[in-house]
Amino acid sequence: MIKTEPHVQAKPYVGLALGMVIPLLLTLVDWPFRRMLTPSNILLVYLLGVFFIALRFGLWPSICASLFSAGAFAYFFAPPIFSFAIADQENLVGLAVMLIVGAFTSKQAENVRTQALVAKYRERRASALYYLSKELAEARLEHEIIAIGVRHIYAEFNTRNTILFPGQHGRVCYPVKPAFAISLRGANLEVASWVFRHQKIAGHHSAHYPDAEAIYWPMNGSAGCVGVLVMEPISRQRLFLVEQHQLLETFVNQVIHTLERARLAEQAKEATLKMQSETLRNSLLSSISHDLRTPLATIVGAASTLAVDEERLSIDSRRNLVHVIHEEAHRMSDLTTKILEMARLEAGEIQLNRQWYEPEELVGSALRRLDKKLKQRLINVQIATSQALIFVDAVLLQQVMVNLLDNADKYSPVDQAIDVSVNTASSSVLISIADRGLGIPVGFEQRIFDKFFQIHAESAQSGVGLGLSICRAIVEAHGGEILVINRSGGGSVFQLQLPLLECPPTIDPEV
Amino acid sequence: MKTNKPLILLIEDDPPFRQLLTTTLENQDYSVLSSETGREGLHIARNQAPQLSILDLGLPDIDGQEVIRRLRLWSELPIIVLSARNQENDITLALDNGADDYLTKPFNNGELLSRIKALLRRISTTSESDLKLFQVGDLKVELHKRKIFVDAKEVHLTPIEFNLLSILVRNAGFVVTHRQLLEKVWGASYIGNSHYLRIYMGQLRHKLESDPARPRYILTEAGVGYRLNDEES
Repeated sequence: MIKTEPHVQAKPYVGLALGMVIPLLLTLVDWPFRRMLTPSNILLVYLLGVFFIALRFGLWPSICASLFSAGAFAYFFAPPIFSFAIADQENLVGLAVMLIVGAFTSKQAENVRTQALVAKYRERRASALYYLSKELAEARLEHEIIAIGVRHIYAEFNTRNTILFPGQHGRVCYPVKPAFAISLRGANLEVASWVFRHQKIAGHHSAHYPDAEAIYWPMNGSAGCVGVLVMEPISRQRLFLVEQHQLLETFVNQVIHTLERARLAEQAKEATLKMQSETLRNSLLSSISHDLRTPLATIVGAASTLAVDEERLSIDSRRNLVHVIHEEAHRMSDLTTKILEMARLEAGEIQLNRQWYEPEELVGSALRRLDKKLKQRLINVQIATSQALIFVDAVLLQQVMVNLLDNADKYSPVDQAIDVSVNTASSSVLISIADRGLGIPVGFEQRIFDKFFQIHAESAQSGVGLGLSICRAIVEAHGGEILVINRSGGGSVFQLQLPLLECPPTIDPEV
Repeated sequence: MKTNKPLILLIEDDPPFRQLLTTTLENQDYSVLSSETGREGLHIARNQAPQLSILDLGLPDIDGQEVIRRLRLWSELPIIVLSARNQENDITLALDNGADDYLTKPFNNGELLSRIKALLRRISTTSESDLKLFQVGDLKVELHKRKIFVDAKEVHLTPIEFNLLSILVRNAGFVVTHRQLLEKVWGASYIGNSHYLRIYMGQLRHKLESDPARPRYILTEAGVGYRLNDEES
């Protein structure tokens, strides 16, 4: 049998009082008509009242109404009038029927009412669970899930609560995130640890630690206890009703499952990341070993020749060897810089030092870095005089332009110009570097930005295939995009799109 | 050991690199005193009166920045700092702490030698009279008359543009950091407003350079500052 909560039913004494008042009222109503109505009709009117009381207020008020109705009927209407004696046998039968009907109806009504109440509760629980699941389904992060759990338990059970988890050392500890207004503060860690270890309920009025102020509830997941729910016992009765207990269990289970899911997803992500970084490390290692060994072999060879055969070498040979060492060392240095740069970008160590710059200045400094290389090359630069400032990390953006200009120089004939232009679109600044080189084969437009990808691997000009991936990482760190399009008439255009995040600052004109 | 060779203090913790620089400098007729640590370097600076010091920022004992700060408390000794690439912040900090110039590893020794020469030259010519006329390529600056000529044509600058240019001229051949320029021209409260500097430098480039996108005189060192080129290359 389901216990209903007392406050949901109408207050019992109201029912009892009405059980007395209604028969008296009916007596007053019937009194003027006593000449016209037979006693059995009057009994029916009383029965109506009893029926009403039974429906609304349950058994005891209806018995009370029956007795009062019987008394009133006997006293006022059943001959002899103004005495409780009843002369007529029929009226006695009528009275008995009335009492039975009252009792029976009230019992039935109470059943119906209880069922309705149960249905209402079930519906409320279902909707509470539905909203909890709905919110949990959208949560991804552990602290979000915990927040949702705490909030919903508070809303449904009207009790301040908090969820404790084991920390680094495997012992239950206080949450690291700041508490909400509805969080329970001051949980007893000793009790929580005990609950976590024994996976039994403890605290307020339970078998263990009954003196504790809060209730400690173990959160058992598929792989043992995950944490401890600590609740203020606002309404013990509410919490220890079987259905409520089950509901709380369901709530907690939902939270646990979502947490476990999130943790699994997190682990999977970490595993993938680890695998990716493993792969990166391996490819880095293999590329380092291959690309650095080649120039190193040359340097070691040339230097040892210089050291051993110094007297026998002609001036010219010596000069050649020194020149070779110099060149190869530079190549190694470039490679090392690129590999380190990529590793730094990959590790997410890049903190953008953004400031406002004139694009012209950035282009100028990039061209200057390549001054020696670009001596023979014609470079056309097109920048509007009214070009606004852009908010970038100058060092990194210069690196991007140096890499692109260097590529343009490497892969296009010496007599062809490189065209650099800066334009402002509606929501971004476009920096283009166009060459008249080989162009990018169809289908490779995305892949050339991948790490260690080279179209012409092992060619004389080959690097490590990191230049463009460094460019992409830097541009994306700026929230921009880099792409390549084949140029009409041959060659390719590399385009940087840097979003205009905010209005460039202006300065007061000089007085 | 008294010689008239300029004495250079080298503070560098990597033995082969120290050896290489010592050899290179001695071949160029400098005397070299080298030390592995910042502490020892400071001690030498105090007792041996070197004319110039070369300092690696990545030292084992004390931070290179601290060495610069301590040196600057009592000495005007010219300092060239060495650092790895991608450490523009360290370089800028070193320059703001009082270092005179910098080189990023790996560098050509020729580069180092020309920086040393320029610094030693600057010590011997610090009087204003030497700054009466600055000339490089087609650019001619007469600071005391506030006159600037490009290709023999006079160019008119606004007061702020002239202030900027005069600071660069006084430090010709050396890098001046963004912070130093902002502080000297606009005042300390403008240090966060680097866009002022960029805009005025842009205006200056457009007035002095034949091709502002490939400047010959006002050179930008990304992330660090500006350098007025003092030799026609």
